[in-house]
Amino acid sequence: MLADLLQNTLDGLAAGASYAPVALGFALIFGVLRRANLSYGPAIMLGCYAAALAHGRFPGLGLGALAAIALLAAVLAGAYVERLCFAPHRRGSAVAAMVASFALWMQLEEIATLMLPRHVVAFPALYEGEPLAIAGLVLRVEALAAIATAAAVCALLAAILYRSRFGLAVRALVAAPLAAELSGIRPARVFFLVFALASAIGGTAGFLVAATDAQITPMMGLWLTFKGLLATMLGGLGSLPGAVAGALVLGLVEAHAQWFLGPQLRDFVVYLLLFSLLAAAPRWMRTPSPS
Amino acid sequence: MDAYAVSVLTNIGLLGFLALSAYLVLLAGEMSFGQQAFFGIGAYCGGMLTAMAGWPLPLAALAAMAAGAAAAVAVALPTLRLRGLYFAMATLAAAEMARIGFELLHWQVEVAGEPVGPDGTQGFRGIRWVFEAGLAPEGYAVLVWTALAAVTALLAVAERARLGATLRAVGEDPALAAALGLDVHRFKLGVIAASGGLAALGGVLFAHHNTYIEPRNFDVMLGVHGLAYALIGGLGTVFGALVGVALDVGLLEGVRVFQGYRMIVFGGLVALLLVLRPRGLLDEETVRWIGRRFS
Repeated sequence: MLADLLQNTLDGLAAGASYAPVALGFALIFGVLRRANLSYGPAIMLGCYAAALAHGRFPGLGLGALAAIALLAAVLAGAYVERLCFAPHRRGSAVAAMVASFALWMQLEEIATLMLPRHVVAFPALYEGEPLAIAGLVLRVEALAAIATAAAVCALLAAILYRSRFGLAVRALVAAPLAAELSGIRPARVFFLVFALASAIGGTAGFLVAATDAQITPMMGLWLTFKGLLATMLGGLGSLPGAVAGALVLGLVEAHAQWFLGPQLRDFVVYLLLFSLLAAAPRWMRTPSPS
Repeated sequence: MDAYAVSVLTNIGLLGFLALSAYLVLLAGEMSFGQQAFFGIGAYCGGMLTAMAGWPLPLAALAAMAAGAAAAVAVALPTLRLRGLYFAMATLAAAEMARIGFELLHWQVEVAGEPVGPDGTQGFRGIRWVFEAGLAPEGYAVLVWTALAAVTALLAVAERARLGATLRAVGEDPALAAALGLDVHRFKLGVIAASGGLAALGGVLFAHHNTYIEPRNFDVMLGVHGLAYALIGGLGTVFGALVGVALDVGLLEGVRVFQGYRMIVFGGLVALLLVLRPRGLLDEETVRWIGRRFS
């Protein structure tokens, strides 16, 4: 019993670590633009489809090259979404931006299925050996990679936001948009770069998830957007540490609920938790929300 | 008219109810990602009442609408003070719980020697009231469109009356509306109840059109489509929501040239449209402009 609890907690933390960068990218866009990007996951999915396509054409390509392709394609798709859905609505309606990003989601999903029409597409596996066994607990090597990636992404993002001029511009725009503009920061350019950064983070996370599962489906876009949205919501909208905390909580709750109640009730428990938290509205979830 | 055209027309009508319910919530100043749940509750309630309990469709539709309205109020009561994306996510969470609830719902009874009723993820087949009543597909399309026309007319009249002005005031500036002495919370609850009832009516008619429903029919994609229809059609008039549905289902599914590329065309079109017209095709200004031509 105790061993099960420990194993579930370990699995949950590993899952949470793979959600964390997904949530960070989503929260970064929301925190800076105050707009929810529903196309966040589908753009990452398109990146993974590009990598899968390259893997099929050129089987000799290594994981590093495929990851670079996935990242680049995700950033390009993200830039396309930003230009068409967010740049035009920067001063306007948040609802219009969100619905436009939903429309592009449909588009990206169809492009992906036209690229590779089979529902399940093989993806190169990250690791094909046995999982590690430590003191009676099982730890997948992929989980270690997820944890290391999450830590690296957090450190890198913190360095960018708090140690670079670009980070200063981002923080200035969030804290005081008008003052930032008056001191020569160009919001359109910063927002575009934030989008590219978020897509790169998401692309890394998505590639890792795809390589862990060794397959991708068109449902991946929905999955990524939902995990990002759920984790960001649980941790408080727009907060980056909150997004990481939310991702870990989401992973833990899912792992335990799956073990005790099964997969259907696992999702039910997650939504019930979110609904109850929203209804109770604790202080960390009460950041002002636009639209 | 060929069978395909009739089915496209019926589908436009069915989705019209969903778009209208999303439109009502948008007018009240909120955004719901969860209208598909009330559509689903309507479909399951209505289907169970006609197929399992042997009720006639009109009576079952009324009961299903009441259930949809009650469910919408139950979701809104603890969450209505949330704003923007928070409210949208709360409705999404509630709708996903409802969908999983449909997946867990197993309740079958013997009807004419065969088990009938919801069977979890296997779905709910045999909702045959329309077939047994001897209604042809054309007749059913007329029935759907009559119901939709009645609802639309009702809403159009309400919109031109004081009620419409109140609704827009509550949606656009709740603080000002409250200062004018309106009970904003109760008013919004009323609108949300109506939107739940409308979505449920669409669901009942959907279930009896398809004769088979499954939990997957009522996933978040359906709700977000409804929301998108209302927004691209325009928030200026009740007809906007129907224009939105007609644009997607009628134009793109009806015109077979786009087969296989439908979503690429539709997605790009909607995103561009929203750049040019962020409040949809028939926004308030356009509606006023058209109104002046005819007065």
